[in-house]
Amino acid sequence: MTTESQDISDVITSAAPDAKTRRYDRQLRLWASTGQARLEEARLLVLSASATSTSILKNLVLPGVGHFTILDDAITSAADAGNNFFLEGPSSIGKPRAQEAVRLLLELNDGVVGEAITDKPISTVVGDLEFLSKYTIVIAHNLPPSQLDTLSKSLWSTASAPILLTVNSSGFLAEIFIQHAPHPIIESHTESLPSLRIYDPFPALLEYSKGLDLDNMDPTVHAHVPYIPILIHARSRLDGIPKTSEEKAAFKKSLLELKKKQDEENFDEAYAQAYRVWAPTPIPSNLTQHIFPHLEDKLAPPVLPPSIHGLLVALKRFTEREPHVLPLSPALPDMKASTESYIHLQRMYKDRFNTDKEVLKSLIPEEAGDIPDDLVDTFIKNAHGVQVVIGEQYGAFDKDPSRIANALEIAPKDLGVHLALQAVREEIEAAGKSGDALARVEREALTKRVLAKLAKGTELSEEIEEAIGEVIRAPVADIPNTAAMLGGMVAQEAIKMITRQYVPQSGYCVVDCIDMRTGVLV
Amino acid sequence: MPSGCPCVSLDASCVSASHSSASVTQSYSLTQAHKPTIMATVAEPNAIVDWPDRYAHIDQILENAGPRTDPAFAAGDEVKGFLRTQAKVLVIGAGGLGCEILANLALTGFKDIHVIDMDTIDVSNLNRQFLFRPKDVGKSKANCAAEFIMKRVPGVVVTPYFGKIQDKDEDYYMQFNLVICGLDSVEARRWMSATLVNMVDPENPESLKPLIDGGTEGFKGQARVILPTITSCYECSLDMLNKQTVFPICTIANTPRLPEHCIEWASVLEWPRIQADKKLDTDDPDHINWLYTKALARAKEFKIEGVTWSLTQGVVKHIIPAIASTNAIIAAACCNEAFKIATTSAAFLNNYFMLIGTEGIYSYTFEHEKRPDCPVCGGEALEMTISADLTLEELIELLQEKQDIQIKKPSLSTADTQLYLQAPPQLEAATRPNLLKKVSELVKGDAAITVTSSTLPFNLTLRIVYN
Ligand SMILES: [Zn+2]
Repeated sequence: MTTESQDISDVITSAAPDAKTRRYDRQLRLWASTGQARLEEARLLVLSASATSTSILKNLVLPGVGHFTILDDAITSAADAGNNFFLEGPSSIGKPRAQEAVRLLLELNDGVVGEAITDKPISTVVGDLEFLSKYTIVIAHNLPPSQLDTLSKSLWSTASAPILLTVNSSGFLAEIFIQHAPHPIIESHTESLPSLRIYDPFPALLEYSKGLDLDNMDPTVHAHVPYIPILIHARSRLDGIPKTSEEKAAFKKSLLELKKKQDEENFDEAYAQAYRVWAPTPIPSNLTQHIFPHLEDKLAPPVLPPSIHGLLVALKRFTEREPHVLPLSPALPDMKASTESYIHLQRMYKDRFNTDKEVLKSLIPEEAGDIPDDLVDTFIKNAHGVQVVIGEQYGAFDKDPSRIANALEIAPKDLGVHLALQAVREEIEAAGKSGDALARVEREALTKRVLAKLAKGTELSEEIEEAIGEVIRAPVADIPNTAAMLGGMVAQEAIKMITRQYVPQSGYCVVDCIDMRTGVLV
Repeated sequence: MPSGCPCVSLDASCVSASHSSASVTQSYSLTQAHKPTIMATVAEPNAIVDWPDRYAHIDQILENAGPRTDPAFAAGDEVKGFLRTQAKVLVIGAGGLGCEILANLALTGFKDIHVIDMDTIDVSNLNRQFLFRPKDVGKSKANCAAEFIMKRVPGVVVTPYFGKIQDKDEDYYMQFNLVICGLDSVEARRWMSATLVNMVDPENPESLKPLIDGGTEGFKGQARVILPTITSCYECSLDMLNKQTVFPICTIANTPRLPEHCIEWASVLEWPRIQADKKLDTDDPDHINWLYTKALARAKEFKIEGVTWSLTQGVVKHIIPAIASTNAIIAAACCNEAFKIATTSAAFLNNYFMLIGTEGIYSYTFEHEKRPDCPVCGGEALEMTISADLTLEELIELLQEKQDIQIKKPSLSTADTQLYLQAPPQLEAATRPNLLKKVSELVKGDAAITVTSSTLPFNLTLRIVYN
C-alpha cells in the first residue's frame, strides 16, 4: 500500500459525491478535503506573465487555488506570443500580457478568481509589504537581482509575511528556491510506518497476547491468530529480549515450531516480522533534535501557530513520561487473521489510542487555546512523521563562503549552474536589458561575475565553464519545455507549502534539462 | 534530421540507430502523402506564416551550439527547417500527459503531430487535462485536444485518431520520426513498445523509431527514452512496476478485515452472483452505488469501518491519484527529449529519469539495462527452473505470478504439441486434461515452450530446467 495516497477512508465520507468532489477526485486522494480547503483559501501573486509564470499558474488554477494576481506591465511581444500557451498567438500581440494570460488561465476553472495588474511596474511593489501581505505566496520568475533582493528582504521581515517562491531560468538550465518562515507539517505522508508496539506492548496488548492458549486452540482459530500477539506471546515466554544472532535465530525457529500445520501463513508472517521483537522504534530524531529543543525559543508562537505549538509541547511532555513512546496510532496494517481476531486487535489499538489521546490533551498548555478534536486525531495518527522545516532567507547560501566551497567539492555541476544563472541575471540587469527576449551576454563579463562569487584564486572547473557556455548560448531563452517542467515543479512546491502536507524542497533546487537531472545546493 | 547522430553519446552498439537518424530526413515524402484530416473550423495547414520573432526563445538554442552539444549539430536554418517543415511525431494518449505533451510539442515548433486516444472525456479529467472544458465531457479526447491545439497555436496541424493503437498497422507507425507515449495502461505501453521493437529491420535504418515514454502517479513519475532493439525496452523493465495489491479470494469470501475486502467481495463475488450476465461498468455511478451499498452492508455485519463511496470507486476502478503539476514535469521531460532527438541540439537522456516529489524535488537519472532474456528485445529464451513434479496448471499459475513477464491467461504449446489453449472452446476442452499432468511428462528434454496470450503482442519462449 502506498502511503502517498491519503488514508482513503478519510477522503470522503458521504455517499455519491457532488460535482466538485467528482472534478477533484484524483487530487483529493492525495491531500483530502483539508488540503483542498487550504488551497481554496490561498492567494497567489505572480510577478510577470512569462511562459514559465503561466505554466506555474496553470498547475495551480487547475486544482482550484482560491485567487491569483499576475502583476506585469509588459505588452505582449511577438516572442511572447510564440512561446506562451496562455497567449493567443498573433492576436495577443500588442495587448497587455498579464490581462491576456489571466483571461485564458481563468478558462481552466470557473471556481478560481484571477486578476491582472498592468499599471504598476514590478519594481514598485517589491518593497511594499502592505501590498504583498494580501497574498499567501509570491512567485517570481527571472526577476532582476536588485528587485529580487528587495522582495526577499520584505518577505523575510516578519514571520507572517507571504512565502517567496523564486525561479531563475535560462534555456535548458534553471533553479528554484523557497523562502519561508518555520513551516510545520503534520501530514508529511512519510513512507515510514508508526510503531506497532511489539517491542514495548501496551498493557492490554501484553495481557491478551500472554493469555493466548496456542496449544489447546481449535486448529482453525490457531491458523488465524494475527502475527502481532503471536510475537508478543512467544517473547513473553523468554527471559529477556533475544540479543545475539544465535538467540534471534532460535527465537525465529521457535515461531515455526508453534505451527500446527505447515500452511499456517500467520506464523510465516510472524517469522518474517520477528525482528520487531528486538527492534525498538525510537522517537524520530526530527522531533527529539529539531523540534523539541526549540519549542520555547525559535519555534515559540507566533513563529508556529499556537495550536500546533501546543500539540508539539504536549507531545514532548508525553514522550518524557514512561514508557517514552509516541501516543499510539490506531492504524493497523492488514495481516493474516480471522475477522474476529483482527477486529478484536484493532479495537485494542483504538482503545489505547483513545487513552493516549486523553493524556495528550491533558498535557496541552492552556495558552494553545481550543484545539479541535479532529486535529488532535490527525496529529496523533501522523506524529511519527511530524516535521518543522526551518527555512532560510534567499541568498544566505551565497553569503557563506564555506557553503560555496563545500558545494564546489560535493556538487560541482549544481554549483556551476547556480553561479552561471545568478551571473546572467546580474549581467542582464546591469546592461539594462531585462525584458529583452533577444539579449546577448559576453562570456568574459559572465566569467568575471562568476569568479567574483568564488574565493580569490579559485580556478574555474570544467563544470562551471560548461554552465557558463550553456547560459551564453541562450541567456534569456524561456523555452517551452523548460518552462513546462518548472511550471510543474514550482506548482508542486506551492501545493505542498499551501496544503501543509508533504515535504517541500530546502536549498536551491538546480534543474539541468540537458543531462535531465536535478540537484540540490544547501 | 540534420546529419548528426543523436546517439553518439550512447555506445558503439548504436551504429544502426545513427544510420536511421541520419536518413529520417528522407522519409519525409510520407508527410506530403499523408493529408491531415482536420476540422473545418481550423485554418489550412501552412496558411499562417510564422510571424517574425515567433521562435525568438527557442531559436537561441537552435542557432547556437552549447559546450556539450554534438559537433554534428546543424545550427540555424537546417535544423529549424527540419523541425518545422518535416518532422512528424506521434503522441499516444490525449489524457493527463497527452494534453501537456501536445501543447509543448506545438510550442517548440513541431508542426505535424498525430494523436491517438480511445477515451472520452470524464468530469474527473478536468482537474488536470487542461485542453478540455465542462462542455466537452463525453467527447473524444483525441478530437478535442487536436482542435484546441490548432486553435491556440496557429499553423500547427494535429491529426487525431479516436480509437485504439492496435487498430493501426506497421505501415502507419512507419511514417513517424518518433513516438511519445503518455498512457496509464501498462497493456497499451507493452503493445506499443513491442510493436516498435518488432518493426526494426536492420536492413532499413528508417525502421527504428525512438520511443519516449512517460508515466505518473501522484507526486511521482518517470520519463524514459527507448531506442528499440538498442536500449532497454518497456518489457525489459516490467519488474519495476509496483505490484498491484491482489486480495486472496479466501480472504474476500471468508475473513474480511479491511473495507477493501468488503468492496472486492461485492464486485468480484456478489455482482456476478446476483447480476448474472450483466457486465459491471465501473464508469456507471449506479453500478458503483450498488457495490457501495453491498460492501457497506457486509462491513456492518463484520464490524469493519471505512467503506465509503470514494473508496469503493477507487478500489474497483484501480484509481491512481493524478495532478496537473506532476503531469507537467513528466510531459516536459518527454517533449524535451523529443526536441533534443529531433534537433541534436543537446544529448538526449540515457535513458531513465525518475522523479519523486513527495519529499523535496528528488530525482534519479540512470541507464536502465537491457534484459538478455527480455521476451521482446532480448532474443534469449526465458529459463525457468521447476520441480519435475510440477503440473501444467501449477506452471501456468507460476507464470501468471511472475512480475517480470506479467501474463494473463496464457496458452502453451511446443513445436509438436498443444499443451493448453485458452480458446477456442473445443481446443480448450481438448487440452484441459493436460492441466493435471506433470510438465516433465508433457515436455520432453529441453524442448522450448511457446507461450502466447491475447494481452501480449509477442510470443514468449520458455525453456524448462528441472531441479
Ligand atoms: Zn526488452
